[in-house]
Amino acid sequence: MLQIKNLKAGIEDNQILKGINLEVKAGEVHAIMGPNGSGKSTLSAVIAGNEDYEVEGGNITFNGEDLLELNPEERAHNGVFLSFQYPVEIPGISVSNFIKTSISEKRKAQGLDPIPTKDLLKMMREKMELLNIKKGYLSRNMNEGFSGGEKKRNEIFQMAMLEPKLAILDETDSGLDIDALRIVANGVNKLKSADNATIVITHYQRLLDYIVPDFVHVLYNGRIIKSGGAELAHKLEEKGYDWITKEADKQ
Amino acid sequence: MSLIENLKSYSDKLEVTAERKEILNSFLTHGFPTTKDEEWKYTSLKKIVSNEYAIENTGEIIDSSTIEKYSLGFDNKIIFSDGKLINTPEIKGVSISSFSNFESATTDSISQLNKALAQNGFTITVNKNTVVENPIEILFFATTKDNFSQYRNLISVGDNAEVKFVERIQNLNDSASMVNHFTQIHCDKNTKVEYNKIQNNTAESRLIDTVNVYQEQDSTCAINTLIFGGSFTRNNLNFEQNGSNCESNMNGISILDDNQLADNHTFVDHKSAHCGSNEMYKGVYLGRSKGVFNGKIMVRPDAQKIDAFQSNNNLLLSENSTIDSKPQLEIYADDVKCSHGCTIGQLDEKALFYMRSRGIGLEEAKAVLTYAFASEAIENISVEEVKLLAQKLLSQKLNVDLDFSL
Repeated sequence: MLQIKNLKAGIEDNQILKGINLEVKAGEVHAIMGPNGSGKSTLSAVIAGNEDYEVEGGNITFNGEDLLELNPEERAHNGVFLSFQYPVEIPGISVSNFIKTSISEKRKAQGLDPIPTKDLLKMMREKMELLNIKKGYLSRNMNEGFSGGEKKRNEIFQMAMLEPKLAILDETDSGLDIDALRIVANGVNKLKSADNATIVITHYQRLLDYIVPDFVHVLYNGRIIKSGGAELAHKLEEKGYDWITKEADKQ
Repeated sequence: MSLIENLKSYSDKLEVTAERKEILNSFLTHGFPTTKDEEWKYTSLKKIVSNEYAIENTGEIIDSSTIEKYSLGFDNKIIFSDGKLINTPEIKGVSISSFSNFESATTDSISQLNKALAQNGFTITVNKNTVVENPIEILFFATTKDNFSQYRNLISVGDNAEVKFVERIQNLNDSASMVNHFTQIHCDKNTKVEYNKIQNNTAESRLIDTVNVYQEQDSTCAINTLIFGGSFTRNNLNFEQNGSNCESNMNGISILDDNQLADNHTFVDHKSAHCGSNEMYKGVYLGRSKGVFNGKIMVRPDAQKIDAFQSNNNLLLSENSTIDSKPQLEIYADDVKCSHGCTIGQLDEKALFYMRSRGIGLEEAKAVLTYAFASEAIENISVEEVKLLAQKLLSQKLNVDLDFSL
């Protein structure tokens, strides 16, 4: 589904990603871990098409298409979804109107008619139930005055509504208490299928107790320095990053 | 021929009272205000008074389909065609008649010109204790080309009465007609009045609109101004609070493009204690458009416990658009709460990327954010039809199909 080859990217003159290689197949869950400043959020921003970052080399293909040639909205239409580490507040637009606009724009790009309001509301109700979201939430302004946990839950709610092929969860666990974490993880797990894939970006092993990854990658200083199975995350939790990063620093 | 010469030759054959003649002569001596005049510093009349206008109406008869096209569909319609009052509704407790020559305290030259020349307008009296359920729609149509017209209107709302108005001034050709509009509203004790002004005239149209509101105790009056069309729009909105517990509310939206200019001048005169005023003006500027906002709040020495709030927020969406914003607070009482804020900015890049990452195209995302920016001022309008029209005009102006019916 997603192939990243020797990706180099940065912001202004500062190179942050120094040659990333990653392959994600349909049905897989990948976790990307690593210490602060290793480039985790840059990677997710580059995949989503954030124009603040400049791609200096390498390529990304998504279902055979050159992702770097597409603008952010086209990537979303093709099935890429980024759950933001810091979701943006948009006063004046309700959650329901935002999601409605987002879905009809996607359908328009796919040559489909807008989804009937009745069907949309039904779908919203189902997904709200899945994420334990209370009524009244739909008419609140997008992320305005939301708590950290509410913002993250709103991200997963949008993901549930947009049904992406590839979901990137950037630090979705930060700011969540354990109950909210369970609900969010449970939602992500229920949305998982053989046709879609998830990249979980996190600092901590905690989230991976609930969303069990098939692969764990350690990102350090702009490179993936180690990959393994779910057990790698446990080892990191136990021993920290030093034992790998020291080795990488030596090279 | 310039408008002033135009008016001079018109005045020679004008048969009006000596008082009006005197006012007119004084105006003709001084001429139109220039940018040297503090109140007209950022808005130049030069261009719009340099050409010749038709001062007398040579109107055509308008048909019902024209009326329907511009009406928001209310049953209570007051309709003017080239100055002539052609329709008045029957409303219980409300009397509606044509122009009456009333006095006004305003002494600015444009209002004086109106006083000297006006022969058309409406006089509305809402009786005590009358609650008018349906809004009264007032339509002013102009068919005469390059017309310079004056309307002079008076509204008196008796104690405990409630009434809402929706006003629209509409040019029916694409000429550069100008309207000098004057409306005086008296809100007696414990009244509730809302006046909505839809300023969406044809591209070349020009408007100078003055509204004076006099409020007695316990009254609430809201004036909402929606500017979408016209090449030149100047609104003078003056509130005078003459009793305690009054509330004066103003909401304004200007969405301008091309070479449009819109100037909102507001003045709230807090003369009594325990009153409030709320002012929210939002402006969105595209193309080479220009906005002016001047908001003056005066709190007189005896007007304690005043709560006055004013905000003017602007989005400049093009390189060549400009805004001049000037708050003016004059406070002579010591126990008051007055706040004002003015912002000028562009759309939030982070929010744009967030929306695009959710599949919302760049143009649509810009429009949604702009809509969100302006909507706060629309929210305060209580007449649903006006709110919907504002949303529709907003999406038209931004060239997107926003559907917020959910």
